[in-house]
Amino acid sequence: MKKNKDEKGNGISRRSFLKASGAVSLAALASSCATSSAFAAGSDKLRVGLIGCGGRGTGAARDCIRSSDNVQIVALGDMFRDRVDKSLNNLKEELPAENVKVSEDTCFVGFDAYEKVIASDVDSVILATPPHFRPAHLKAAIEAGKHVFMEKPVAVDPVGIRSVIASSELAEQKGLAIVAGTQRRHQDHYLQVMKRIHNRAIGEIVSGQCYWNQGALWVSAAKKNLRKKKELGWSDMEYQCRSWLFFTWLSGDHIVEQHVHNLDVINWAIGSHPVKCLGMGGRQARTQPQYGNIYDHFAVEYEYPNGARVLSMCRQTEGCSSRVSERVVGTKGSVYTDGSNASIEGPNAYKYEGKSPSPYVQEHSDLIRSIREGKPLNEGRRIAESTLTAIMGRMSAYTGRELSWEWVMNKSELDLTPSAYQMGADPVAVPGQTKLI
Amino acid sequence: MKQTREHDSSGHGRRISRRDFVKSSAALSLAALTSGGSSRVFAAGSDKIRVGLIGCGSRGTGDAINCIKSADGVEIVAMADVFRDRLDESLGKLSREADDKVSVTNDKCFIGFDAYKKVIESDVDLVLLTAPPGFRPEHLKAAVEAGKHVFMEKPVAVDPVGIRSIIASSELAKQKGLSIVAGTQQRRMAQYIEVIKRVHRGQIGQIVGGQCYWNWGEQDWHFAKRQSNWSDMEWQIRCWPYFTWLSGDHINEQHVHNLDIINWAIGSHPVKCLGMGGRQARTGPEYGNIFDHFAVEYEYPGGVRILSMCSQIKGTTNRVSERVVGTKGTTYTTRGLGYIEGQNPYKYDGPGIRASVRQHADHISSIRAGEPINEGRQVAESTMTAIMGRISAYTGRELSWEWVMNKSTLDLTLPKYEMGDLPVPAVAIPGQTELI
Repeated sequence: MKKNKDEKGNGISRRSFLKASGAVSLAALASSCATSSAFAAGSDKLRVGLIGCGGRGTGAARDCIRSSDNVQIVALGDMFRDRVDKSLNNLKEELPAENVKVSEDTCFVGFDAYEKVIASDVDSVILATPPHFRPAHLKAAIEAGKHVFMEKPVAVDPVGIRSVIASSELAEQKGLAIVAGTQRRHQDHYLQVMKRIHNRAIGEIVSGQCYWNQGALWVSAAKKNLRKKKELGWSDMEYQCRSWLFFTWLSGDHIVEQHVHNLDVINWAIGSHPVKCLGMGGRQARTQPQYGNIYDHFAVEYEYPNGARVLSMCRQTEGCSSRVSERVVGTKGSVYTDGSNASIEGPNAYKYEGKSPSPYVQEHSDLIRSIREGKPLNEGRRIAESTLTAIMGRMSAYTGRELSWEWVMNKSELDLTPSAYQMGADPVAVPGQTKLI
Repeated sequence: MKQTREHDSSGHGRRISRRDFVKSSAALSLAALTSGGSSRVFAAGSDKIRVGLIGCGSRGTGDAINCIKSADGVEIVAMADVFRDRLDESLGKLSREADDKVSVTNDKCFIGFDAYKKVIESDVDLVLLTAPPGFRPEHLKAAVEAGKHVFMEKPVAVDPVGIRSIIASSELAKQKGLSIVAGTQQRRMAQYIEVIKRVHRGQIGQIVGGQCYWNWGEQDWHFAKRQSNWSDMEWQIRCWPYFTWLSGDHINEQHVHNLDIINWAIGSHPVKCLGMGGRQARTGPEYGNIFDHFAVEYEYPGGVRILSMCSQIKGTTNRVSERVVGTKGTTYTTRGLGYIEGQNPYKYDGPGIRASVRQHADHISSIRAGEPINEGRQVAESTMTAIMGRISAYTGRELSWEWVMNKSTLDLTLPKYEMGDLPVPAVAIPGQTELI
């Protein structure tokens, strides 16, 4: 099964091969031959393309290489030349040469760079652009038969979520893997405590809280980008894409971009997405123009199917108390988790004493193993639901309206895609005035 | 022990003053209580209770009407407000509602920042303290020191310094055998009493969570549009809900009701809190310097975390209720409903009680029975719960009860009170507003 690189464009293409092998492994699974592998472990190279060469994308590429043997980064795509160059330099500095096989003709720049990476004879892609672009990128990757690692969050609006779910279903049919960058799902202390929750160690879940309250971030970058916009005559589009964190259409706002991690943990613990929510929020401290149109704080109450109400709080404000953690309350105890701790209080007390391996590497290792074993992981729907959990919280806070999951998932027509990729910023949302779409 | 009325209708003369009488009779009744008796200083309805109204806004006027209608032999005899027109309007309404119980002569109508003192000096037995909350600590102190029974509207302060004053006055009232009843009406609503009684009996098991809300699609509550001839001070007092130094912000002024229910259900004030909030929709300068939304997590003893949410934003979803979550069930309460779901389901289906009247009836009978109710500390703690949430949201800092109660030196009172210039303090900015 050795791959000849010169086959490109001729004969059985790499991606057709993977598609076929995926189909084979599905068939194998269906006939309960559970360990059948299209790849003999480690025997074949996995060719990876990176789409979105920012800090997280470059980090994900590095973690991907470090996670498994015989993995190569072979193509890079970004909107901006300088980002591609910087990313490539970093990868070359940090990784052995045999793992970074990117040539000038597999570096792509522009809004359509992702298409070219996908067409570059890769087996899998890392989708790490600003979240706005994720639904389109995932669709293209799955349609082209690529395995996918995609960063969270995976969309910024309900229309995008529906696209991600459709692509995930297609991936399932095609036997393609999708792993999402909600790394807590691959972190041992979370896994241990979730197993216990699901075995009813704390009884029935009746309440909970999750938080991502932190200080400021991208402070100097935000200022620098605004300055460069003026000095270098960047278009609004270029400026917004470079300062993407601060624009709702690109990041989904920080409740989506960052707090989705904690909401994902709550959905995981309860085993369901919420059924409704009521949120509030605003822009009280981070009000300067370089911070786009996102809020600086949100508080949302989510109601889950059994009536359990969970508080979500997130804030990005310098000088305020920090708290990044989750808490799940049951009839027989409560669970506390954060990035490195997990414990249960109550009759079934427990404390995780081990040391979780780096989840940023583990998630890639789990993905690649699943591909090689022909048992592709598919986290697409799950991460779509966690992302929609965050999106509905944002929509509720922006409009001041209580929202049902059913409505947001099925009826909302909110689509933040600009009509053309050139535009100015939308105004900051005002509850009671911002239209519910 | 039947008392002869010591006052003739003119009320003049150097006799035993009414308030000395009430003080001494309260002392007597305390003595009686400690010796196990049920002695009554007032035979029910046999003697007049003379009431002074301090703060003649719509709430004060409503309280006065409810008070005089709640029992026989109660009359309004003196009134105070910062503004003449408010007093006149109030007196007119009182007279229309219950003329036979309103004996307020011109010389018992007092205007100005010190008007409360004059009402207290007007030979009254009981005062209704219904000025904006920022004035409450000072008014309560004066009333209790002068030996008056007190009904006071919620909230009872706007800062920790004020709360400490309220608690001190409440303790003094206890020593003096004076009653203090607070306008946290839900404490006297039948569905609340029945549901919370069951919570305290363990019918929902151990409390492990809860929520309370005053989310309101209204944003012009008691709003007063500034007139060209109003000074800053006059404007701020007439539009008092929108200025933190006067109202304590809406988490205090309004949401204290819901927080009071949570404290009641749990049987304690919180031990810490983390709040957030802002001013996102109601941003015009005519709305002073308060926030339009707050979300606060309160932690109670035993690690129980409660979500509090309140907002006043036109066009947003309404939700005003409380919910207490236990290991065996959940309570849900509003001003119209009270029920329990879970292992011991319950639903209150009895008649509603007009708690706004009942609170005064209870108060009057407690005075007459010589068994003064003292809700001072309870309402001080519920008010402090709201204040600490506001301070946490304004500063962005997690706060402990211990610190706020004992260490915070925040004092929003002004060095002097007079009509004139008074710049509006800046709207709080979390992370920048100083924690005091």
